[in-house]
Amino acid sequence: MISQLLMSNRPWRVCVAACLALAAGLVAGGARAQTEPAPAATAPAATAPAQAARGVDQDVQVLKKQLVDLNRDLFKLEEELLYPASTQVAVFLSVDVGTFFALDSVTLKVDDKEVAHYLYTDREVQALHRGGVQKLYVGNLKAGPHEIVAFFSGKGPHDRDYRRGATLRFDKQVGAKYVELRISDQMASLEPEFMVREWE
Amino acid sequence: MLAAALAGALIYPIVSHGAPATGTAAPDFVLKAVDGHNQRLSEYRGDTVILSFWASWCGPCRETLSELNTMASAPGADAPVLLGINLDGDAARAAAVAESLHLKFPTLVDTKQLVSRLYDVEKLPLTLLVDRDGQVRGAWAGDATPVPEVMRQIKELERR
Repeated sequence: MISQLLMSNRPWRVCVAACLALAAGLVAGGARAQTEPAPAATAPAATAPAQAARGVDQDVQVLKKQLVDLNRDLFKLEEELLYPASTQVAVFLSVDVGTFFALDSVTLKVDDKEVAHYLYTDREVQALHRGGVQKLYVGNLKAGPHEIVAFFSGKGPHDRDYRRGATLRFDKQVGAKYVELRISDQMASLEPEFMVREWE
Repeated sequence: MLAAALAGALIYPIVSHGAPATGTAAPDFVLKAVDGHNQRLSEYRGDTVILSFWASWCGPCRETLSELNTMASAPGADAPVLLGINLDGDAARAAAVAESLHLKFPTLVDTKQLVSRLYDVEKLPLTLLVDRDGQVRGAWAGDATPVPEVMRQIKELERR
């Protein structure tokens, strides 16, 4: 986890990772010092090293939990700073059943400007089929009328190339706006259905 | 002049866009393969990956692909994942070459040259060895890739 943070392109994550790596080193160093018997000391009981190891293990677990908590808090803080609630627009994608459509890619346009293009791997499609919801885009929009257009590409019924669009026009108020792109099966026509809807 | 040289030396690491250096993270990407499936590099985290950038007009590239193909033909428990990345921008031509060479690993098509720009491919073939943590551990560019050397590095990584 620390290495993932170190690889991150966000400077604060690198700092956090470096601090925690240092802390982990100190804990491990301290524990090693505890486990090494002093030369003048009498022979320690047989259980002492095992107890010390358990203590180190607990310390590392606590440290890991703190790291996860800190990472989560910093992530939330970053989101709040970059996308304030007053202007935030987030677009999510979900798939319901999806037997009539094999998703390949989604292109998203906001006010006629392409803001996201996403190619889906088999694993990602499987995750969506299992109920996963993907945060496709997050950005800022000022209050007023806006238009979101999503183009879905993939394989439709009978394994034919399939491309459809869905549009949502909305009035952005002060406050966050959440939009969901939903792919579902229309059993009456045996065709996929593409919806764009606002979350209240 | 000295000041300019110093400034250049300081700025160089920031503005330089060489292929990812050994020990740095391999940038993630997703590309469509000639079989129609999309492949994302980060999904192979946990496996050793060999990326081979090639074009149909490049002779040493074909030589490298053939050599790598022998590696793909003898898969083992710790066999690396091979991904060929074609830079022609023409999926049909890439598929034809892959078929003529009987490639047993996925051929991805970088139609918009986004990944080649991301990896700053200047010479072909370019072969990169990416370890299980997504770090670049070896890079070979310009000539046919010495596959035995790649194998040696993979074994060295496994020993760590």
